[in-house]
Amino acid sequence: MKRSIIGNQAVAYGALAAGVDVASGYPGTPSSEALTELLHFSQNNNPSPYVEWSVNEKVAFEIATGAAWAGKRALVTMKMSGANVAADSILSVAYSGTKGGLVLYIADDPGVEAGMPEQDTRLFAQWAGLPVLEPADPGRVYELTRYAFELSEKCELPVILRSVTSVAHAKQEVEGEYTYKPLGRKPEFEKNIFRYTKAGSAICIAQHEALLDRLAVVERTVRDTGINMMVESGDRNGLFLVAAGALIPYVREALSSWDHQNLSTLFLESVYPLDKELAGKMFEAAETILVLEELEPFVEMQLRSEASRLGWNGSILGKLDGLLPRVGKYSQEVIGRGLKTLASGMAGHSAATSRPVVSSERSDPGNEESAAEQPVAAELSVKHPITFCAGCPHRGTFLAVNRALKKIGLNQDNTVVTGDIGCTILGMNPPFHTCWTEVSMGSSIGLAQGFYWAGIENPVIATIGDSTFFHAGIPPLVNAVQHGANLLVIILDNGWTSMTGFQVNPGTSEQFQAKGARRVDIEGIVRGMGVENLQVIGPFDQEQSIEAIIKALQQEGVKVIISQAECALTVARREKRTLIYQIDSQKCTFCRSCLRETGCPALYVTANGKKSKHGQVMAIDPQACTGCGLCYTCCKFDAIHEQKLGG
Amino acid sequence: MFQSIVMTGLGGQGIITLANLISEYASENGLKVSLFNAKGMAQRGGRVTSEIRLSDDPELDFGARISAGKADILIGMEIGETINSLSFLKEGGAVILLNYAYIPTTMVLKKEPYPSFEQLTELYSGKTKELFAVKEPKHPYNMFLLGVFTAVAPAIDAGLSFYSKQSVEEGIAKKLKRGLEENLQTFNGGYAYGQSLLQHV
Repeated sequence: MKRSIIGNQAVAYGALAAGVDVASGYPGTPSSEALTELLHFSQNNNPSPYVEWSVNEKVAFEIATGAAWAGKRALVTMKMSGANVAADSILSVAYSGTKGGLVLYIADDPGVEAGMPEQDTRLFAQWAGLPVLEPADPGRVYELTRYAFELSEKCELPVILRSVTSVAHAKQEVEGEYTYKPLGRKPEFEKNIFRYTKAGSAICIAQHEALLDRLAVVERTVRDTGINMMVESGDRNGLFLVAAGALIPYVREALSSWDHQNLSTLFLESVYPLDKELAGKMFEAAETILVLEELEPFVEMQLRSEASRLGWNGSILGKLDGLLPRVGKYSQEVIGRGLKTLASGMAGHSAATSRPVVSSERSDPGNEESAAEQPVAAELSVKHPITFCAGCPHRGTFLAVNRALKKIGLNQDNTVVTGDIGCTILGMNPPFHTCWTEVSMGSSIGLAQGFYWAGIENPVIATIGDSTFFHAGIPPLVNAVQHGANLLVIILDNGWTSMTGFQVNPGTSEQFQAKGARRVDIEGIVRGMGVENLQVIGPFDQEQSIEAIIKALQQEGVKVIISQAECALTVARREKRTLIYQIDSQKCTFCRSCLRETGCPALYVTANGKKSKHGQVMAIDPQACTGCGLCYTCCKFDAIHEQKLGG
Repeated sequence: MFQSIVMTGLGGQGIITLANLISEYASENGLKVSLFNAKGMAQRGGRVTSEIRLSDDPELDFGARISAGKADILIGMEIGETINSLSFLKEGGAVILLNYAYIPTTMVLKKEPYPSFEQLTELYSGKTKELFAVKEPKHPYNMFLLGVFTAVAPAIDAGLSFYSKQSVEEGIAKKLKRGLEENLQTFNGGYAYGQSLLQHV
């Protein structure tokens, strides 16, 4: 049957069709919907695989590994940054290999549409020594996810299924089974310290050799599947175009407006290890090869190395010669530039060419593009900085931090406040300007200790969300307690992993935990670490929050404030609002303190003012207001008042 | 027929719903359809872009993303974001512009000038004559624009004639359960508005 699904959902249904037994992951754009879909499936179907959002990617990977070592099929999902978190275990498990199919779904983000580095997971895979499949579109994601489990079992290696935003979030019709076929395997884990431990150099050396042997098996196994497709034009001009993974449909699109019958193509969806036999076949016929792939010259480097080993003396066009960029998503303009160079470069390259090479008579994508790239009216260009949603509790916490600092003679420009990953980092944006840094999950607490030991005089504050705290914030806090750093840590606890789409985390309320799962209490954890100066506040109570922050800043040692209120969006999805705030246009003087301090998106300017000298007043969008009341705390003219909602 | 449609605006405007309706409806009519929603920051008032590609040739190869200069149709739902999306539109492509501005807090506070609807239409008229200016839209904007789109689509490309008033209405009724009456009313208002625009093009 056919369904319109995004690439991430195709991972879920491919894994179900392969009979996946255990699936785990940590949310991260653009990968999250893969596990979300599986979780949804498991909550509504029987039989179903075991599915969980784990506390972080390393734990998620270890859970999947345990299941696979017991002979079951397991999937683990994460974004590219998550692979770094799990790296320690991934590199070690690569040495041991696997028994049951173990598939790591990792989504990269060329062009950075979700934030974080343009990390190329294919290089990570090469470092670990793991095979990489790189599907071209959602339909291929489904097929290759299924196949990845087979490949993993045949070669006894974890397989990396790598996608990018343009595939992960593309919605297309995908032919699939959309059912779960459990394999019904009995779990069996063989006791074998030579394979499953690293105790001793002899063991590790042997495992390293075994890993290389398995990679050789991967190369041969994939060769027989036709996943990598070479089509020779039959022309003797020696022109080859190589394209990898997500770029394949775009290259096909570009070729449709070129006369390309005399161009040979090699489309790769299995990019590591390189199929050297196939490459060798290409080198026999090729004189000029254009390599199209986003981010790092990964396929290109493998081809160059193989070309050098074979003593091939043609030319390879790609990134290393500076023709194509290593940064960003590839547009049709970039692909067109490559094709044009392939066509013209070849013309000068070989005098033996009797027939015309790739001709661009029908249309020229390169020129077509440049015509379109007229200067955007730069002076008109505006940016909409992202901010906390209306009713977001984090607004209250950052407002209280800024107000507390001001009250004791400090401000956000002379007091270092480290930020962390997730919604809480929006505290760096206007109107707050509170956060100074964002590095990686949990790093706010480690960095803050560094600033303290460096001797920064003013107090140092670390801010971190609840899920991020569970993920990687606990070890640095333990470290701060042990070494006695003078530090205030504010945990902004909204009960959900919100930035990535409201996934549950260990601190999520008991009523939303999965069946058989329970809530883990942040306060108990922090007390258990030996933090004595601990306060729990509600960020909408500004007086209490400001007082708590000032008190903590005046104490020595490690202080923790847990600022607790549920994410406004999850509340809004569940509950009807009972009250909102409105502005009395007769009283508003248009001083704009409410907007200046809160930056709440429910506030807007309207032209109904009578008393204000500008003829304008502030107003509150009754649809957007959640009744948090933070704007009320800003108004000195008593213009903001409550309004009860009926029903 | 192969059409690439880009929609741009801000989170909360209902772009994703609009894009889903337009693409699902094309899919039900047997077209090969691809939809890409760039919505990472949608809930936080950030930029949202939807990219739809439709083809009546099931064998035609194309990627999900639309490159600069490759959009046949651009639907701009917020003035500032539509200005930022100019490079998407191909020379002479069709554009539907909505008169709605969301001025960022910082600009309100600094009293910086925000581009006007007139500036927006002027900018686009330098690139295309096929310009539909929706100067007086009604809420909800996404339904109003669906009406405008349904009215003008067949004029943009005959291959889009399957977007007819009656059939899209039926499609809305199937997909949207909440506030159906209000949505249909706004859709009809948009359709009538779109028809009046056609007479001026």
